[in-house]
Amino acid sequence: MTRKASIAAVALALLAGCAAAPPRKDYAKLIAANPRSILVVPVVNKSVDVDAPAYFLSTLPVPVAERGYYVFPVNLVKRLLEDEGLSDASLVHSADPMRLCSLFGADAVLLVSIERWDAKYLLIATQVTVEFEYALKDGKTGETLWTDKQAMVYSSDSGGGGGGLGSLIAAVVSAAVTKAAPNYMPLARQANSQAMAFPGPGFPAGPYLPSYKKDRPTPESQ
Amino acid sequence: MTRATGVAATVVLAAALQGCATPTYYAWGAYDDALYAHYKNPQEREAFVENLKKVLLEAEKEGRRVPPGINAEYGYALYEEGRYVEAVVYFQKERDQWPESLVLMEKMIRNAQRQKPASPTPAQGPAGALEKR
Repeated sequence: MTRKASIAAVALALLAGCAAAPPRKDYAKLIAANPRSILVVPVVNKSVDVDAPAYFLSTLPVPVAERGYYVFPVNLVKRLLEDEGLSDASLVHSADPMRLCSLFGADAVLLVSIERWDAKYLLIATQVTVEFEYALKDGKTGETLWTDKQAMVYSSDSGGGGGGLGSLIAAVVSAAVTKAAPNYMPLARQANSQAMAFPGPGFPAGPYLPSYKKDRPTPESQ
Repeated sequence: MTRATGVAATVVLAAALQGCATPTYYAWGAYDDALYAHYKNPQEREAFVENLKKVLLEAEKEGRRVPPGINAEYGYALYEEGRYVEAVVYFQKERDQWPESLVLMEKMIRNAQRQKPASPTPAQGPAGALEKR
């Protein structure tokens, strides 16, 4: 394959990731619960990077709010939970979602865990991986309304050739991967935007979007 | 590969990698970057608070709705500086613009009103500095 063709293939693959066919997902509970507001609480960290949860938390409110839901101020929520003695995110996640939501007056709570957030330095490439699990729980019933899982891998040639696809992508993501400090943020944002996209695996439009209630699969079409 | 093709490929890749960058529904400004920087360098709180204020001012200037949570985050920054009276103003804005925030904002307003008023001397904190008109 020529270089041009291979670049096109990668670009297509990346774009396809955005416009992926919606996986068959049961939206009945989410649509029935019809939340207007989503509480985004600190994330559980299963990686070894101690900074990951706070960094990742900063990427969550925008994509959720952009789906048309009211998103509670994440930093304020984080501080209040800390004041309540819940500075450990796993305590928050294991708390009763109904109680959690009622504390803040939220319709639903988004629980996200970081499964992977690491960089591997291979012989000629650096590979950065992020992986997240998302779950939306109902504040009224405690039931899980929606879940998703996203993994993103970015690999770059760190040596050899001096050109080609690896260096092109590396330039594009503004040196996302450097030996000193890999930048996970573009990957994290990409994972979120894929998780929230609709049609796709994400949330149907919330009350603040003009497409509210117009983009939802009807029970008949499911 | 021609130069033009290379540029085009780069543009496509950039768009793809930015998560299919489309214009956002709300004017977020640098909110998420500011939040990230705040967690990365908590000692640079001033920049965080300034950025919050900037999002509010930009939205106001453009006549757009302030994104959810920003008035509350800014109010909380004032609250942390002991500027309880001003904090209440922003908690009220959040509550009035986003009825979903009612329960939390009423709590925050009650908390702020329960606190002793800050000393009459102007606060030295960054949010205080930004409040000067």
